[in-house]
Amino acid sequence: MNAAAPPVLEMRGVTKTFGPVRANDDISIVLGRGEILGLLGENGAGKSTLMKILYGLYRPDAGHILVDGEEVEIRDPKDAVARGIGMVHQHFTLIPPLTVAENIVLGAEPRRGVALNLGEAIKATQELSERYGLRVDPRARVADLSVGVQQRVEILKTLYREARILVLDEPTAVLTPQETEDLFSTLKELVTDGLSIILITHKLGELLGVSDRITIIRDGKVVDTVNAAETDERELARLMVGREVILRVDKEAVKPGEPRLRGEDLVVLSGTGAEAVRGVSLEVRAGEILGVAGVDGNGQVELAEALAGTRPVESGRVYLDGEDVTSVGADARQERGLAYVPEDRQHKGLVQDFALYENNTLKTYDEPPFSKLGWLFPRIMRRRAAENLTAYDVRPRDPDARAGSLSGGNQQKAILARELSGDPGVVIAAQPTRGVDVGAIEFIHRQLIEQRDRGKAILLFSLELEEIRSLSDRIVVMYYGEIVGEMSADEATDEKLGLLMAGRQVEAS
Amino acid sequence: MRRILDQVAGAVVFPLLAIGISFLIGAIIILATGNNPIGAYGALISGAIGSPSAIGRTLVNATPLIFTGLGVAVAFRAGLFNIGGEGQVFIGAITAAGLGVALGATLGPLAILVCLVACILAGFLWGAIPGFLKAFFGAHEVVTTIMLNFIAINLATYLALNPLRGEGLVPGTDTVAAAVRLPVIGFGLGRANYGILLGILAAVVAYVLLWRTGRGFQLRAVGLSPEAANYAGMALKTNTVLALAIGGAFCALGGFVQVLGVEGKMSIPFVANLGFNGIGVALLGRNHPVGVVLGALLFGGLQAGAQQMQFATDVPLSLSVVLLAVILLFVTATKLVELLFGKRARVFASGTRLDEGLGR
Repeated sequence: MNAAAPPVLEMRGVTKTFGPVRANDDISIVLGRGEILGLLGENGAGKSTLMKILYGLYRPDAGHILVDGEEVEIRDPKDAVARGIGMVHQHFTLIPPLTVAENIVLGAEPRRGVALNLGEAIKATQELSERYGLRVDPRARVADLSVGVQQRVEILKTLYREARILVLDEPTAVLTPQETEDLFSTLKELVTDGLSIILITHKLGELLGVSDRITIIRDGKVVDTVNAAETDERELARLMVGREVILRVDKEAVKPGEPRLRGEDLVVLSGTGAEAVRGVSLEVRAGEILGVAGVDGNGQVELAEALAGTRPVESGRVYLDGEDVTSVGADARQERGLAYVPEDRQHKGLVQDFALYENNTLKTYDEPPFSKLGWLFPRIMRRRAAENLTAYDVRPRDPDARAGSLSGGNQQKAILARELSGDPGVVIAAQPTRGVDVGAIEFIHRQLIEQRDRGKAILLFSLELEEIRSLSDRIVVMYYGEIVGEMSADEATDEKLGLLMAGRQVEAS
Repeated sequence: MRRILDQVAGAVVFPLLAIGISFLIGAIIILATGNNPIGAYGALISGAIGSPSAIGRTLVNATPLIFTGLGVAVAFRAGLFNIGGEGQVFIGAITAAGLGVALGATLGPLAILVCLVACILAGFLWGAIPGFLKAFFGAHEVVTTIMLNFIAINLATYLALNPLRGEGLVPGTDTVAAAVRLPVIGFGLGRANYGILLGILAAVVAYVLLWRTGRGFQLRAVGLSPEAANYAGMALKTNTVLALAIGGAFCALGGFVQVLGVEGKMSIPFVANLGFNGIGVALLGRNHPVGVVLGALLFGGLQAGAQQMQFATDVPLSLSVVLLAVILLFVTATKLVELLFGKRARVFASGTRLDEGLGR
């Protein structure tokens, strides 16, 4: 940081309340020129709110924003762009059928008369691409690009609008480890070119490698700002959660027993009719956790659904405890002891507008004691829900609370409570900790290990390599609808898994 | 308890607010037509509830609307738009009139029961058609229920004017025997009959179905989140067909009470818009059975009162239509509400958003 020049961006005393919730409480951050500032916090800590204020999507109740030492008012994203602020959202805002160049200039197109000057757009894209070392083909259709390249296009979009301050919201959530490394080296190059970057994430390890300073936010307040070189994961976790966190998962050696869940040559179609799972066979045994690693969208969701029975299989068989259940519905498989924690708790795992007690019996509402001859007994449903909410520490512990009013972590705990309380023999857990805060992750991991130790067969799908590696006894990697590698957890390294996830063959070592 | 009070307050306050605003806007319109709003509204209110006979007219108007409102609301709870109420009313009316005439002489009052069951069945089957088309061919129920309205209306009209044509001067079926008519309540309530009790009973049945049975649990889950319902192993297709079929059964009973309670026959032209007004009633009642009963009473009252208003002043009958339209506009336009009363007020309007059910 240059002491003489004012910081490129400063937010002072920003406060924003939503009803009774103080999302941002007197938050101040400073971004120096040519600096990468990490913004760390659990889900719901207020990071996103702060950045939405910076980008003009929300108006703060109090506080100031200074760009180059000068107070500015940002009323909408146009103001933000005019001040040189660029935002790369977690969910891309690209239009898939259009080309890279078209996407980049969209909204600020070079024109010839009323028509788009495509040649100019391609030229501009090429120039930017070369200047910042972000390799893209301007003529490629965005739909044909990998996620990592699409992200590059998003960054170029902001650079085309002459961004000097780049905000990236959870940029690594969708990337393979190798793509993440590429991204980080790109970011480091960008700051040497004079850009300043704010990196939002809840992944501790990443921030240490790439950022200069890290500001930690908890419950809407700034807890601390630390130099990345002078801290470690343990301290960051403690600052973020407000207490000591056990990052390592301790577990006993595996004692695998009988095969409980088996898929044989499964072919499953996606919603669009494409073959999402292309001949997968796997087997989960009692007392083990089988981890399925892979980049998002390589058939994991379809495989999980096919095994759970909520999606039909095109061909192949599913066996539960040796019995062919391929043509048996999801509710019948659940009655035979299959629990399924879906990857999308918002839309699949919970009916958001149902009360917690209704969600707690979403699958068992038609079984005694909750139901007899088609009649429901809400009082018994409520009582069972209250027990489960207490056992799994779901807050609030109010069976009548609307599921949608809970935080992500509590929603996930509510799903776990429903799925695990029935004492299932087989558990399919898809992304059980996605978007969940560190405290809840710890709890969920403990629950899964406990289930394993009690002899349950657990199939774990996760995009987080660290989660796969720390929980699983055995790991398979999915790429483009197939299983491209299998190894024991001891053999697995990030590099090995990463290469498999990217579709490259790994030499047997 | 607190939560229930809050919910009730939210459910009641918002429609009342909408009614208040619409009456203000109505007052401006009345002033513009050169009339005195206070006098006009006085006549409107006395025409709706000012005397036993006025109350009787309100009840008579409201009765079929309770059924059609429920027919829309039950389907809506399952995430489906039943715009087919109009046709389903005609199916119910022709079934009740045809069977009522045919069986009245032999069965006497027992024919009422037979007609009731037959109407439920006919409406159920008729409502199931768009359900099947949706579940198995992906045809959107808004389109198919609207189209089926034309078929139902013309089919019923044809039957009433040809094979079932009666002797009298007024075109339509024969009049059913007195024993097959729903008995009037009396107490000076005019033509008000026990159909209104049947309507309230139907509302209770709808409530119990939706909130006290496993089937209702499924319907509501499917309506709120088809993905979660599918995840939980519920059969989406079965529930789609059932929701529209049950909606059809309720709407057909609207025709039943109109024929056996009020007219005694299916005359042609048959009373129009019972089905379409049911959509408004359901929205006003926030797709809740209790709300539907109250909404139907408001609709019925405004219709009855507007007649009185037209006699007493120069304000045209159609003002009641304007008032209803403005009320519905406020009840359904949640964004407008947000603008006028802030975000807090928005919770009052939940359950009435038209777009909530459009996801599928």
